[in-house]
Amino acid sequence: MSTVDTAKLGGGAPDRPPPIATVGVIGWLRTNLFGSVVDSILTIVSMVIIYYAFSALLDWAVFNAIWEAENRRECLNINKETGTSGACWAGVIIWFNAIIYGRYPYEEQWRINFAFIVLVLWLAPMWMPRVKEKLVYGLSAVVFYPFLGAALFAGGERGLFLQIMMSAAIVFFVYNCVNALVGLLSGNDLPDTLREKLGIQGKSDKAQRNILLAIAAVAFAVVFALTFTWTVPNVTWTKWGGLFLTLVISGIGITAALPGGIVLALGRRSQLPVIRVISVTFIEVFRSVPLITILFMATTMFPLFLPEGFTLNKLLQVIVAVCLFNACYMAEVVRAGLQAIPKGQYEAADAMGLGYWKMMGLVIMPQALKYMIPNIVGNFIGLLKDTTLVSIIGLFDVLNIIQSAISRDVPWRGLHKEPLFVGALIFFIICFAMSKYSQHLERKLSTDHR
Amino acid sequence: MTAAMEAAAAGREQIDSSASTDVMIQMNGVNKWFGEFHVLKDINLTVHAKERIVICGPSGSGKSTLIRCLNRLEEHQEGDIIIDGVTLDSNLKNIDQVRSEVGMVFQSFNLFPHLSVLQNCTLAPIWVRKMPKSEAEEVAMEYLERVRIPEQAAKFPGQLSGGQQQRVAIARALCMSPRVMLFDEPTSALDPEMISEVLDTMVELASTGMTMLCVTHEMGFAKRVADRVIFMDGGEIIEQNTPHEFFDNPQSDRTKLFLSQIIGHG
Repeated sequence: MSTVDTAKLGGGAPDRPPPIATVGVIGWLRTNLFGSVVDSILTIVSMVIIYYAFSALLDWAVFNAIWEAENRRECLNINKETGTSGACWAGVIIWFNAIIYGRYPYEEQWRINFAFIVLVLWLAPMWMPRVKEKLVYGLSAVVFYPFLGAALFAGGERGLFLQIMMSAAIVFFVYNCVNALVGLLSGNDLPDTLREKLGIQGKSDKAQRNILLAIAAVAFAVVFALTFTWTVPNVTWTKWGGLFLTLVISGIGITAALPGGIVLALGRRSQLPVIRVISVTFIEVFRSVPLITILFMATTMFPLFLPEGFTLNKLLQVIVAVCLFNACYMAEVVRAGLQAIPKGQYEAADAMGLGYWKMMGLVIMPQALKYMIPNIVGNFIGLLKDTTLVSIIGLFDVLNIIQSAISRDVPWRGLHKEPLFVGALIFFIICFAMSKYSQHLERKLSTDHR
Repeated sequence: MTAAMEAAAAGREQIDSSASTDVMIQMNGVNKWFGEFHVLKDINLTVHAKERIVICGPSGSGKSTLIRCLNRLEEHQEGDIIIDGVTLDSNLKNIDQVRSEVGMVFQSFNLFPHLSVLQNCTLAPIWVRKMPKSEAEEVAMEYLERVRIPEQAAKFPGQLSGGQQQRVAIARALCMSPRVMLFDEPTSALDPEMISEVLDTMVELASTGMTMLCVTHEMGFAKRVADRVIFMDGGEIIEQNTPHEFFDNPQSDRTKLFLSQIIGHG
């Protein structure tokens, strides 16, 4: 290693800043928009076209829009009077609650809002750099949150199993929040801080763990007892609708698709013939049939496969169908990621005696996920948009409400453009956010490999 | 010749006598086919504990396949392979046991790019030998010092040179305290100036009494360190002898042809 500082060897020209016209905003404008005469003309022509297109859109959407009206007739009259064409947002504003919540009773909608806030708070620590063990937050949310959600959204009588899982979910949620807070403030996690505060660090590892588990058990029992008699009115699934229903179906679909896809992909690559044949059949059947056909088949054929007396309501049938459908697509994405890992990695893990599951979990999957992310998120975005198909079998998701409910409502009959515009905007916001998160994930994971 | 090789040559008598009489690896009538292609033909090989074996031969002679059969990366269709008393067959428990006793170093290093150097070395001890993390890290640092790159422990494989990566691979294999080390052309993918640092590490390892089977083209290494040189061609073991006898007195015509082609190496 040379320790000679070449700069001190003398000589060498001093650094100068680059000319203004080649860097920064002006530089970008010069190279990209005004690089040559032809480029400049094209830029000016494009800008004129964009201006005309967007000014018309802006006029319709913002400047001439009607924000308050009783019905569509009134909107049309206002437009006729002012001689302009303005969007009749009034109809959408009046229907906005239904677009988001469907026919969920207004006084119970706080449960949906509350559950949503809980989910955000539950997952928020995964974005914070100082927090340790981020995977626990995600996994505990996947396993326990659905029960809390079910208890809140559906309400009504709770069976023992649901009561247990809901209490566990509440305990986990509180634990996560406190853990994250402690992590942010002191850099430790909650178990370590508790060990300090209780002064039990002297005892053996096993004794310490048992004490902490005992505290957790007590907390669980307290929550269980407190919530045992707490009920909320039942809201049947037929009233669920709007963006809420869309997010429930796609949320469950997304959460189930990835683990299901991993299982099917590993099954497809397995050496055991029975497992391989089952996996391949599953994947190929679901990939060869359009989702809408599967939804129809699910609602008509599912009862044939279930034991006597065990029925699923239409919403559950749809959710199962969507989960299976997406698991099969996800399986192919996972398989592509697994194939991208060089054979040498499998061999090195084998040669160490790691065994199949440890090899997959510690060596292969962490590397493969990096390759899979663009496709996984793409699948999720597709899944979110595909849930609009449930409107065809009579579930009132956001598109059904936008397309049919509003324009069938007597005061607003014929209102098509404005609700569709809002629907497109809602989907764009959600899908674009997912896309941006995917890019963030890719950047984060590829720097880990440097 | 590197310094370590000269020292090894000087201390040849001490290294020689460490080969014991316990049989570590026994291969009886081993045959292997890739589909229709007969790649290993009637291999009979006995390796004693602490013996250092170099296997050489032309491309496609089955040398890599042979050592890959020893840790079941390849399956043999006929014959027996017995390693340290454990018969290698389709019994998964036997396979796992053999793999934890046999360490392997690959031509393309095969380090895990998503883990740091230290994590690469502690992965197997923690998850296979169930060692506590702190103990595994101590052992790993010890071996990283032995291969002379302790300061790289926190780096990722992508940040290291080829020679450093291969030394990490050797340390990683050693962390499991194997009884046998297999080397599959460990220096073939390295730039010439990095070959010597890896060979030095292997010579130092040999001097500690590790049983080693090494597929390599580095004849200088074979001359200085090997107890036995085995020449393979067309899936058969053509000749095996001490290095002295092998290089100066080849018996078979095929051996003579091979040696004449690599004359000047090492």
